[in-house]
Amino acid sequence: MSLWVDKYRPTSLGKLDYHKDQASQLKNLVQCGDFPHLLVYGPSGAGKKTRIMCLLRELYGAGVEKLRIEHQTIVAPSKKKIEINTIASNYHLEVNPSDAGNQDRVVIQELIKTVAQSQQIQSSTQREFKVVLLTEVDRLTKDAQHALRRTMEKYMATCRLILYSNSTSKVIGPIRSRCLAIRVPLPSTEEVCNVLTSVCKKEGLLLPPELAKQISEKSGRNLRKALLMCEACRVQQYPFSVDQDVPETDWEAYLRETANAIVSQQSPQRLLEVRARLYELLTHCIPPDIIMKGLVRELLNNCDGHLKTEVAHMAAYYEHRLQLGNKAIYHLEAFTAKFMAIYKKFMEDGLDAMMF
Amino acid sequence: MDIRRFFAPTAVKPVVQKQNGNHKTDEKKNNSPLSSDEEVKKRKKETTKVKSSKMEDKRKNSEKKRKKHAVIESDSEEEKPARKSKKSPKEKQKTNKAEPPPKKDPVQYVSETDSDSDNFQSLKKSSKSKQNGTTKPTKSDADSARRGVKEGVKSPVRTSSAQGKTKVKSPSVLATPKSAPPPQPKHTPTSVLDYFGSTTVQRSEKKLVVSTKRKAQTLDTDELSDEQIAQQLQLDEDMELEKQVHEDEEFARTLAMLDEEPLAKKARKGSDEKQDHTASQKKSSPSKTNRKDSMSEDVISPSPKKDPTSVKASSKLAMMKKKNDEKDKGAKSQTPILATKIKISPKKEPLASTSSPMKFTPKTATTPTALKTSPKKTESEQSTSPNDAEKKKANSTAYRNFLNRDGPRALGSKEIPKGEENCLEGCVFVVTGVLESMERDDAKSLIERYGGKVTGNISKKTTYLVQGRDSGVSKLDKAESLGTKIINEDDLLELIRTKPGKKSKYEIAAEAESKASKTRTPPSQTSRSTPKAQKISPSKGNSRSPHTPSPSKTGLTQGHRARTEHGRTPPGRGSGHMARRELGLSSSTSPSSAPEPSSPSTTGEGASLLWVDKYRPQSLKAVIGQQGDQSCANKLLRWLQNWHKHHSGNASKPAAARFGKFGGGKDDGSGHKAALLSGPPGVGKTTTAALVCEELGFSYVEMNASCTRSKNSLKEVVAESLNNTSIENFYKGTSQTVSSKHVLIMDEIDGMAGNEDRGGIQEMIGLIRNSKIPIICMCNDRNHMKIRSLANYCFDLRFQRPRVEQIKGAMMSLAFKEGIKIPPPALNEIILASNQDVRQVIHNLSMWSAKDKVMTYDQCKSDAASARKDMKMGPFDVCRKVFISGEEKSQMSLIDKSDLFFHDYSLAPLFVQENYVHVRPAAAGGDLKSHLVLLSKTADSICDGDLVDKRIRSGQNWSLLPTQAMYASVIPGELMRGYMSQFPTFPSWLGKYSSTNKHSRIVQDLASHMGLKTLSSRQAVNLDYLYYLRQSLLAPLQQHGAEGASQTVQLLDDYQLVKEDVDSIMEISMWGGQPDPYSKLDSKVKAAFTRAYNKEVHLTPYSLQVVKKGRRGGGGESEQGGEDVEKETQESEDEADGLKADAMIKQKKAKPTKESKKEDSGKGKGKGKGKGKAKK
Repeated sequence: MSLWVDKYRPTSLGKLDYHKDQASQLKNLVQCGDFPHLLVYGPSGAGKKTRIMCLLRELYGAGVEKLRIEHQTIVAPSKKKIEINTIASNYHLEVNPSDAGNQDRVVIQELIKTVAQSQQIQSSTQREFKVVLLTEVDRLTKDAQHALRRTMEKYMATCRLILYSNSTSKVIGPIRSRCLAIRVPLPSTEEVCNVLTSVCKKEGLLLPPELAKQISEKSGRNLRKALLMCEACRVQQYPFSVDQDVPETDWEAYLRETANAIVSQQSPQRLLEVRARLYELLTHCIPPDIIMKGLVRELLNNCDGHLKTEVAHMAAYYEHRLQLGNKAIYHLEAFTAKFMAIYKKFMEDGLDAMMF
Repeated sequence: MDIRRFFAPTAVKPVVQKQNGNHKTDEKKNNSPLSSDEEVKKRKKETTKVKSSKMEDKRKNSEKKRKKHAVIESDSEEEKPARKSKKSPKEKQKTNKAEPPPKKDPVQYVSETDSDSDNFQSLKKSSKSKQNGTTKPTKSDADSARRGVKEGVKSPVRTSSAQGKTKVKSPSVLATPKSAPPPQPKHTPTSVLDYFGSTTVQRSEKKLVVSTKRKAQTLDTDELSDEQIAQQLQLDEDMELEKQVHEDEEFARTLAMLDEEPLAKKARKGSDEKQDHTASQKKSSPSKTNRKDSMSEDVISPSPKKDPTSVKASSKLAMMKKKNDEKDKGAKSQTPILATKIKISPKKEPLASTSSPMKFTPKTATTPTALKTSPKKTESEQSTSPNDAEKKKANSTAYRNFLNRDGPRALGSKEIPKGEENCLEGCVFVVTGVLESMERDDAKSLIERYGGKVTGNISKKTTYLVQGRDSGVSKLDKAESLGTKIINEDDLLELIRTKPGKKSKYEIAAEAESKASKTRTPPSQTSRSTPKAQKISPSKGNSRSPHTPSPSKTGLTQGHRARTEHGRTPPGRGSGHMARRELGLSSSTSPSSAPEPSSPSTTGEGASLLWVDKYRPQSLKAVIGQQGDQSCANKLLRWLQNWHKHHSGNASKPAAARFGKFGGGKDDGSGHKAALLSGPPGVGKTTTAALVCEELGFSYVEMNASCTRSKNSLKEVVAESLNNTSIENFYKGTSQTVSSKHVLIMDEIDGMAGNEDRGGIQEMIGLIRNSKIPIICMCNDRNHMKIRSLANYCFDLRFQRPRVEQIKGAMMSLAFKEGIKIPPPALNEIILASNQDVRQVIHNLSMWSAKDKVMTYDQCKSDAASARKDMKMGPFDVCRKVFISGEEKSQMSLIDKSDLFFHDYSLAPLFVQENYVHVRPAAAGGDLKSHLVLLSKTADSICDGDLVDKRIRSGQNWSLLPTQAMYASVIPGELMRGYMSQFPTFPSWLGKYSSTNKHSRIVQDLASHMGLKTLSSRQAVNLDYLYYLRQSLLAPLQQHGAEGASQTVQLLDDYQLVKEDVDSIMEISMWGGQPDPYSKLDSKVKAAFTRAYNKEVHLTPYSLQVVKKGRRGGGGESEQGGEDVEKETQESEDEADGLKADAMIKQKKAKPTKESKKEDSGKGKGKGKGKGKAKK
């Protein structure tokens, strides 16, 4: 009994529910016999990983689905032992180098070299290259990315890389230019609704289209989330009602409360409370940029007029600095403080204007 | 009755006194150009008479004891205002009115003696008052008239003294004036007191010498200027005296100890006691007042110059005896009282005899001299009591005003004039309110720069009240009531501009001393210069150590004394006695006044020594700041004293004592075999330890950081000696038995570090456990990790830094001994700069004085600033200081502010960030909007600091640190400066960071466990999966209870999660302190779930051992095989090893069914797993 999202995951390119033309393009790519390095990117929940797995299956057949988790130990030049988990089949190796933190360069050098240097034995029946799947490339350090550059070219004959990230903005140019970039956009609301409906049908449930729409909107077209929500709705109440409350994750609820706290009162004490809440979010490993996004979205609901643009601008400014800096809480708090100051001023000025 | 008595004698007195006075003045006029030999002779005669009539007096006395008592009371009112504060002013005023006119000349003589003896009594040589007395004959009438007024103030004392004198001369004559008041036919009792007074007088010959010298000095041609100087000096010293009054007894005692004249003091004490004693014999109710009276009666003693030698000679033996008797009884309890009394009494004189007539007149009018503090007190009491509520209200508003008042408005708008050196010397200022053009601190340093003194509160000593904007009402009131001159800022500047400069008293003293040393060799010249030296040196020492002339000087005084002695009637006896006395003095100094090398020979040696060693305290009492009964030194002393009692060998006792340590409230360390002295450097730990050992006759072995103190060497060297007994005394012959009294002193025990001393502390603890001798350990940082373990076995004694005043007193005497002239404010600077490190203060003094013996305030201040000891501040202090507002902030330069950041550049920004919200910024002025704007700006700046921090850390750009300091500490401090409402909190960032990391690890584990199924990144797992996964895990349990357990276990298996992951999921999905829904489950359900989970063996595609997640729920699988198993599982499917499969099937019953489900995800693990297991 898995969750629906995993249970009904498509396994071949042909079974994909949306972006079908892209799927057929990929199929063609594979059929050509050879393909360049790929850089697959797109927002979370768009189906990147599913697409990649389908592609691999297209390449190597069902054997690629026999996955195993390996625990590898790599000794860095500094004699430091780096331990990293990889997921591998006989034909490919999936690794998340950013797990190694600052030592990700070593991981890339060692792992890819070992994989690439060993040739396929039965090259006649199979592809003559293996695939290395690097996840979260955007979190790689610059060092690691530069280490990747040369490796990509050197072992081209025996190894293809599929890079996988949420955005290309942090991937250095040289790597982008060496890869075929494939963007996997989020499915449209209708597509999400279709998927939800079909999944429910497979489960033997009837999903009202209104609820499907509501779920897809609430999930932000994140299909994974949409499916999870849908299942949660099922657990919550069946048969579905049209105006059913769609359960949201607790961190989202918490973030919204935080935003409301900022709007409802502007004072140093409140700033302290907000700081505590922000800390809570951060300790739950919610990425700061997501916190910022969530805050701004909620705050903007409470602003009007030119204040909206101002807040949006502010948010962008602080988000940028947040990326540059070390400690996210500082920037989140600075944003909060700034918003409080501006909002307070705005409100009081507005009041004054109304008085006279 | 009392009042009447006041009047009565005065009315008669003039007649009698006139005789005396005329007689005297004549004499003096004759003798003036020469010395006062004749006069002395005359007086001697008088005193002999006194002696002869002693017995008679006594008899009379006993008869009229009741009346005497009355007289004494009246006297005491004058002397001890505290007792009858309210009454006395009235009386005084009346006496003032009544007396001045008739007195004039006759009183002069009296005043002379009075002041002398008074001085004598207080042991403080008030040169000025004496001069007043002595110069009078030579001076003009106007001068004497003025003095007459003064005398009026002291009338009762004086009258009685006059009576005493007349009586001494001719008892019959005396009867007439005394009998004048109707109620008291005879006033003979006073004469008895006179008699006692005279005996006391005789004791301290030193004083006597001084007074005679002063006389000689007054004959000098330049007497006028000298006199002025002396007056100035006196004033200053009085200020210091006043200060001293506020200091504690301990300090007073220290000072007394430091004084070079313990013997004289004792003698005086003894005499007091004697008086007391005799009084008690005669009187039915001998009270303290009596004693004090008798002291004041000293004052009355007829010309002390004459009696001392003669009377002394006769009564010496008896006196000594009595002294011995009394000392034992009363000395201890009464010393403090005496000390305070002594301090207070001399004050009277300077006030009465202020140098400038202008100042003088108002003072005498408004504040009766003897009244001192008491009237003030009563006034204030009266004023506060009536309407408290109103007052409170006013106070609160005033306080609010005070909080809100802003700084100087026109900072630096006025030109600071350049006055002459020391032009404000002798003036005491109080600044109130906000000055227009300068900060208060600037004003203070300006005043101090010119020799003035700034105090916080108005007292009678206050010369000027500098009033600024928003000044305190209470201060103004007080100033008015005290008649203090109120000036504003411009007046102050004008004062500096116009006031004539004078030579600093310290410089004068220095010159005098140098002169004295020059003239020492040719003794014939001494008559001129030595008096000056004598006059000044005691007056200087007056504040703390009256009679601490350096050895050379002692010799000089001796010579001089001998010379003066010759002029007296019984020369042989007197001088002989003198000599002996001198000897006794010098011999007695050595133990009690520690820092002073008493004999010239030692000074010769001492010259090569560092001052720190030269003035190392020689007795426990002399250690600065360790005089209290509960001081560390005394605790240590008691501990060491009782050590052998507590640890006499039988093992049971220490155990019991240790119990006492926990149970008993008072910790005297009896349970510990070792003592641990901890404290900052330079407070005297080592000295104390050594002195305590010396005091108790312990011999000690000291091991400090220069010795190797590793485990082995300790074992070898120390362990042996711990069980040894000392034969030192045995050999020396001082002790017949072999003594076991020795101590091991482990100095600098925190220096036991590194490879050299490895294991030293542990060995030390072992040694302490088994030691048969006391061990004293010393360290700086009590809370150091290494010391902590040791501290459990030690009697913990923590040394605090001595207070500034404590150090100052000792340093003043040291400076005096070394002939350094340093103004007290400058000394304050030096002490503060070294952070109350006595050793460093001495070093600094020694260094700076090497260049120039006379140190100016400016010079000292700059030197002290440059030598300012870097103080180690904790991060909390730093944080507090960053946001501090007011004067301290305004003093700090930009560098100082950024230096705060560098106390700990990794922690400081965190502290600032954590606490800036707690600060109420002054700039906002309570406005919420501007407060928020400031907060926002501060946060921005902190963010900038963070960006810089990132650059620093990522690129090793450490040169950017100052930039970060600006952004992360200085700018926030500037913006938010204000009042911090609470103690700085420790940055929560650190804790949050580590919990973030922990959660991140958990998520990573979960993601990797679920990785095969979810194909999602860590972030996706965290953001999307976890909540819903938790819901679906808990739903069956919540809905179906125990029946749902199997469903949950199924889900876990599907996602390849282990039981521990459930806990992790629950932990990480807890929000805002809400209770974890899993823990809310019924415990039965939980147990059912656990059972259901444990029933089966769960296989995971990952190795558990490496992840350290704990074992697999129910599996008995060996951990080591884990990894191999996983690897082989996959391959085994291809290989399809049938043989092994059989073995596997046998082991796992439930698994195959479960495993088959997983086949769809492409993992044919079942067989492989089994195989791996079978292998194992």
